[in-house]
Amino acid sequence: MKGLPEDYLHYPRRQRGMDHDIYPFRALPTAKPVTWPNGARVALCIAVHMGHFPMDMPLKPFIAPGGMERPYPSYWDYTLRDYGNRIGVYRLMKSLAARSLPATALLSAVLARRYPALMDDLAAAQWEIACAGLDMGHLHHSGVAIDEERATVQEAASLLRARFGAAVRGWHSPAHSESSHTLRLVAEAGFSFTTGWANDDMPYVMTTDAGRLICMPLSQDLSDQRMLHQQHLATEDFTNSILAAHETLDREAQETGSGRILVVPVTPWLMGVPHRIRAFNAMLDGIIARGNVWPASMGQIADHWRAQNPG
Amino acid sequence: MLSEPGHYDYMPWRRRPRITWPNGARIAFWVAPNIEHYELDPPPNARRMPWPRPQPDVVGYSWRDYGNRVGFWRMADIMARHGVRGSVSLNVAVCDHYPEIIERCCVLDWELFSHGTYNTRYFYGMNEDQQRAVIRENRETIKRASGQELDGWLTPAISNDETTQHLLAEEGIKYTLDMLHDDQPTPINVRSGHLISIPYSLEINDVPLLAMRNTPPERFAAICKAQFDQLYEEGADSGTVMCMPLHPFLIGQPHRIKALDDVLRHVVRHDKVWLATGREIAAWYTEHHLAKAQSWIAAGTP
Repeated sequence: MKGLPEDYLHYPRRQRGMDHDIYPFRALPTAKPVTWPNGARVALCIAVHMGHFPMDMPLKPFIAPGGMERPYPSYWDYTLRDYGNRIGVYRLMKSLAARSLPATALLSAVLARRYPALMDDLAAAQWEIACAGLDMGHLHHSGVAIDEERATVQEAASLLRARFGAAVRGWHSPAHSESSHTLRLVAEAGFSFTTGWANDDMPYVMTTDAGRLICMPLSQDLSDQRMLHQQHLATEDFTNSILAAHETLDREAQETGSGRILVVPVTPWLMGVPHRIRAFNAMLDGIIARGNVWPASMGQIADHWRAQNPG
Repeated sequence: MLSEPGHYDYMPWRRRPRITWPNGARIAFWVAPNIEHYELDPPPNARRMPWPRPQPDVVGYSWRDYGNRVGFWRMADIMARHGVRGSVSLNVAVCDHYPEIIERCCVLDWELFSHGTYNTRYFYGMNEDQQRAVIRENRETIKRASGQELDGWLTPAISNDETTQHLLAEEGIKYTLDMLHDDQPTPINVRSGHLISIPYSLEINDVPLLAMRNTPPERFAAICKAQFDQLYEEGADSGTVMCMPLHPFLIGQPHRIKALDDVLRHVVRHDKVWLATGREIAAWYTEHHLAKAQSWIAAGTP
């Protein structure tokens, strides 16, 4: 029998630490302790996935969660996602404003062009704007030529900075999709932090050929897209999981003396529908009631972490 | 290919012109039973196979057939008990197959609107003449079977093609349910004629909830009540719409019918509810609120 090629059993990156050079391994217990303002134990960041899903979006190499799953023209999928950007996000804004909670919008850049009124309202609500690529039809993957990907990153950055200026410092690749070039292109475009690698509770530094990026935590495991849309779990399964995560992180902060971060990824077309918004409110109230929380945008948390982790 | 339907303008959910409903109601609540016939041996469609299994798909067919033999009658009784009329999303061939069902709907003063001819005949790939022929034939059949005009439309399986909304308007349809972009009625842009959208739902629809998302009946009821409670509260500022789409083959099962009873009891207990039909909502909105919405859009949604 012929078997596999000889190099199939070669392990060129078998060594201590990572099998790449983007960042070194760090075990959470060895991370340098950090403190948050007013001695808060948990930094609370509401990360709002505001995607635009074109009705003719490519379905290869994979469909982003929430993408067009039904035959073209899928009014079903398109209009339900669009609902999030015209109705659902306003419910979330109202919920957060009532509790004086900041938020970070992970925004498809084309929305700046499509819905200027929404941009004005996000600015008035003082939400942080992070760039979530051009739109959900422009995923980042190895099948995209680097020049094409660079143009996409640059166009997305330009669209948002034309409206929000230099405050646009954060990047999130749509549907957490990246090619092996994405981080470098994001650094090239002047972003200072990225979020989407779901491998840590705390920030760490990524190194690219174009400079460094702070990688901020953002779970896809504990997200409404995964739990409610992909796994079909109940609303309370998600909100209870967030509360459980907060409980654990709060306890760890007490035990270690180091601040922790809870990022709550929510999506207007999911959590912003009428039958879920009260559960969202109750979840927020539950976290706030436990106290010792620092509500912050992702950029504010990155800044505080960076100040305590120079170099 | 179109990157978006292109049928509606952006209307952010704040500072909209206030919608009022009859008698100071906060919410227009309407129930849309989908009374359907899925054929045993339908022709294939290039974009969608009618049945997941080779035909005859006895599991799929008999499950849906249950709706017409059993589920409908049980569901209709519960609705009548609470004084809630239905607006039937009707596969119009049901008029020919099961006139008993149409007769019962008429006795209950339910509205009939078209959900195409069969749920196994998709609009995907139909040319304009074919779509127009179906709309016209549906109009004539509903008129013959019930005496009613055809005012509303939901394309079978939401399989509408790019031109469908234009044809609906040209054929005199007054409201479409093919778009799910809002919790209030909205203007719809078409190449000629007039059309509005009123809210249907795929969020509290029994097919997505019970069949796709595996929701137990008690949670189904809780979700529907939560939807109602929120829209009822928001309706104090500006009138909202809640649609409760049902499928007799699902909600009419003996283990689930109590959930419908619970939800309707909860709804009718509130005093500022307009128990409406699709046609009534569309007519009221068109007469009292459509022009204001169009002006607000034209002014840039200030």
